[in-house]
Amino acid sequence: MISLRADRSDIAAGARAMVPWLAGIVPFGLVIGVSAAQADIPTLAGWLTGPLIYAGSSQLATIGMLDAGAAPVVVVAAALIINIRLIFYSATMARYWRGTPLWWRLAAAYLIVDPSVAVALDGYQRLDRERGHAYYLGGAVLLWVSWLAAIAAGAMVGASLPAWLHLEFVIPLYLVGQAIAKLANPAQRRAIVAAATVALLALSAPLQLGVALAIAAGVTAGLTAEVPR
Amino acid sequence: MSSWIVIVAAGLGSYLFRLSMIILTSRITMPPYLERASGLVAPAAFAALAAAGVATACIGLGATQAAAPLAAVAAAVIAVLRTGSSYAAILVGMPALWITTSLLSS
Repeated sequence: MISLRADRSDIAAGARAMVPWLAGIVPFGLVIGVSAAQADIPTLAGWLTGPLIYAGSSQLATIGMLDAGAAPVVVVAAALIINIRLIFYSATMARYWRGTPLWWRLAAAYLIVDPSVAVALDGYQRLDRERGHAYYLGGAVLLWVSWLAAIAAGAMVGASLPAWLHLEFVIPLYLVGQAIAKLANPAQRRAIVAAATVALLALSAPLQLGVALAIAAGVTAGLTAEVPR
Repeated sequence: MSSWIVIVAAGLGSYLFRLSMIILTSRITMPPYLERASGLVAPAAFAALAAAGVATACIGLGATQAAAPLAAVAAAVIAVLRTGSSYAAILVGMPALWITTSLLSS
């Protein structure tokens, strides 16, 4: 059962557990806000990726590909491929939410994303089921509010800064940083090198199909790396 | 108009992903290779979008001016390798872009 009088101290503890995550999440939200303001789409549409898609890398890809004029089907496909991990998170949380009311599962599922799942797993391992729900709620709602606020702040700042700052280059640089930081893992390194190479070779492919092709090539190359035992 | 539809469709699909296994309570076990593949999608997507983004920026600028984004990327790569922080790419890369752009246009 879900108690609406959930223990406030567990909600607060979940929120506190989320705070360290915000240090990494808020700058990412700002970057997405800036990219939404710079992209050739309505800024409000870019911000709406926050509450609707609610997963940073997928939001970034959606905004970037819409800006580049990719075909709608290709953008949706790319956004969903990036979000396939949510199915695994869904399977992870299903264990803890079995037997809960439908309204809770519908609402709690909406808040599933990397940091909220990490905080929740910590909570469910240390607390009983019901207190775990409150812990999850505290962390997940704080994350949601912070994320949408960060995107809005980034969009406002991004729209008012002068052109010579070349803020449109923040996104490629951010992506370069993410890719370089993941080079240490052999499977990810193969995925990164293959994806970047195919993306460059397929640069003139129509409808941004090159990016979709590059992701497929990267994942395939990464899977050929030896499985760590 | 179509950008709104794209964002709503991607959002709806993402929500269905989140809900999928919670509603399908029958225990469906995922093949392990699919789980490995899902961990590779984000790095591959980031690398592909980064390469395409930098290349497109360079093509739009012409031969001489293209040196600025390339210098910014080089500075960003060195900064991330030295600090281990992915945000160093922006903090070092953007100033590098401004400096090289102003040098090339002066």
